[in-house]
Amino acid sequence: MKVLYIAGRELRAAFTTTVGWIVLCGWLEITGLFWVLLVSNYAMESQNLVFNPYAGAYMNLTDYLLSPFFGNCAVILVMVVPALTMRTFSEEFANRSMELLATSPVSTAEIVLGKYLGVLGFVLILLGLTLQYPVSLLRWGSPDWGAIAGGYIGLLLLSSVLLAMGIWFSSLTKNQLVSLILTFVVALGLMVLEWGSRSPDDWMAQLSYMSHLSEVLQGAIRLSDLAYFGGGVVFFLLATHQRMESFRWS
Amino acid sequence: MIRVQQLTKVYGTTLAIDRLEFSIERGEIVGFLGPNGAGKSTTMRILCGSLGATSGSAQIDGLDVFEQPRAVKRLIGYLPEVPPLYTEMTVRSFLRFCARVKEAAEPDRQVEQVIERVGLSSVAHRLIEHLSKGFRQRVGLAQALVHAPRVLVLDEPSSGLDPAQRVEIRELVRELSQGETTVVLSTHVLQEVEAVCDRVIIIHEGHIVAQDSVEALSGSGTAIQIRVARPGPEVLAALEGVEGVVAVQASEGGRYRVSASTDVREHLAACVVPFGLLELSGQRALEDVFLRLTGEAA
Repeated sequence: MKVLYIAGRELRAAFTTTVGWIVLCGWLEITGLFWVLLVSNYAMESQNLVFNPYAGAYMNLTDYLLSPFFGNCAVILVMVVPALTMRTFSEEFANRSMELLATSPVSTAEIVLGKYLGVLGFVLILLGLTLQYPVSLLRWGSPDWGAIAGGYIGLLLLSSVLLAMGIWFSSLTKNQLVSLILTFVVALGLMVLEWGSRSPDDWMAQLSYMSHLSEVLQGAIRLSDLAYFGGGVVFFLLATHQRMESFRWS
Repeated sequence: MIRVQQLTKVYGTTLAIDRLEFSIERGEIVGFLGPNGAGKSTTMRILCGSLGATSGSAQIDGLDVFEQPRAVKRLIGYLPEVPPLYTEMTVRSFLRFCARVKEAAEPDRQVEQVIERVGLSSVAHRLIEHLSKGFRQRVGLAQALVHAPRVLVLDEPSSGLDPAQRVEIRELVRELSQGETTVVLSTHVLQEVEAVCDRVIIIHEGHIVAQDSVEALSGSGTAIQIRVARPGPEVLAALEGVEGVVAVQASEGGRYRVSASTDVREHLAACVVPFGLLELSGQRALEDVFLRLTGEAA
């Protein structure tokens, strides 16, 4: 129960700070821009079909519109998440407000989980707001709902692991900027790791969330990918818990 | 109510507190007195469970602080040196959050009560970040009181407050102790200790150097500082000749420090006027004791 109070406070704080609103507006603007570009591109390509009717067999909403859209959203999330998680612990260290929860009848696990669920809630709102784009397709076409579901599940899995990592970085420093940069750099590093891999099975590809994400975005939810994301969340939340406990006993 | 045994805390290689031993009864108001860095805040943070100890034990109402932290935290209200506030919230919503997290029996009603009690009614709807330092301190106090704790731990509760607000805090603390709340407060304002505390624990460099009731510590004696323009052995003799004077210490610049069993300022003044009396100030006894015990006397 107290986990939810803490999560609720965290979520409300995101909406009463400038950073929260900047992230929200920026997210809507950039995803909206991508969507409009993709749709107009799709429309132009469709007109070209007049000259090449056979190509029509390959052109569909999933491959030409939804997949690139979710791929772009994933990249934006990599930038959004650090801005959301930087506050979680760093701000409390800097303001010395951690004493409140530390001396309340709440366990460290409840504090970590509450903060995690709070920022996860914010990301759920961000993702929920983008539902308007695929839903708008209903008027003109019949999108593949499986692909849409796969896309959202993929984005959710990606954000859940990035948020857990961001919270951990935030628990390491009282400087929000340091937390932001560390989270962003490591998230970016994990992303580009895939580009350097020779085959989809070598360690670089396996360590990168991009290779796991692309499977999910294509609608194939494998156990190994779920294990990757789930394991990442558990690992970083435990690390944060450990960090907070060692703080107390240092 | 509070029992501390052999409590020791080491930060890296620095010894913050060394084998502290004390116990505090229910309803008592105890003042921790000591220079900055003496270990007051460390002790308080350990009692409240935000910091672990290196060794030793601390019990509150029979519950071990380290073994049953959750149960202990329910009994304690803590105001740290810097009030822990979420400044983006309004006073009322912040206190409601605190009440729920601290398991107040009737959160909403207790929030309204505490707002009334610490005088926050006029700002209850405002954002904490827009409040003055005095009001923030009150919100910090409200946060510590909201779940009606049995033990209240206040670290420098009157810092940043104006004199009128200090008096209010003292009255509040006294009122609370009548309601069976045990209060531990740290301060370096000696008047505060004299005004509210039943007992004083003087801490210096991590050790308890004295603990007793305020009256017993101050005794009935006083210490008086005198400065004259023309010092000499005659001045010393004159001062020692005054009835009630126990000891006289001479130091540079024509300064004398007189210890007396009663308030002899008037007689002293009369006898040193011929030597060109420049200054005469009575130091309260507790201050004298404090300075002597913490080795900061001139």
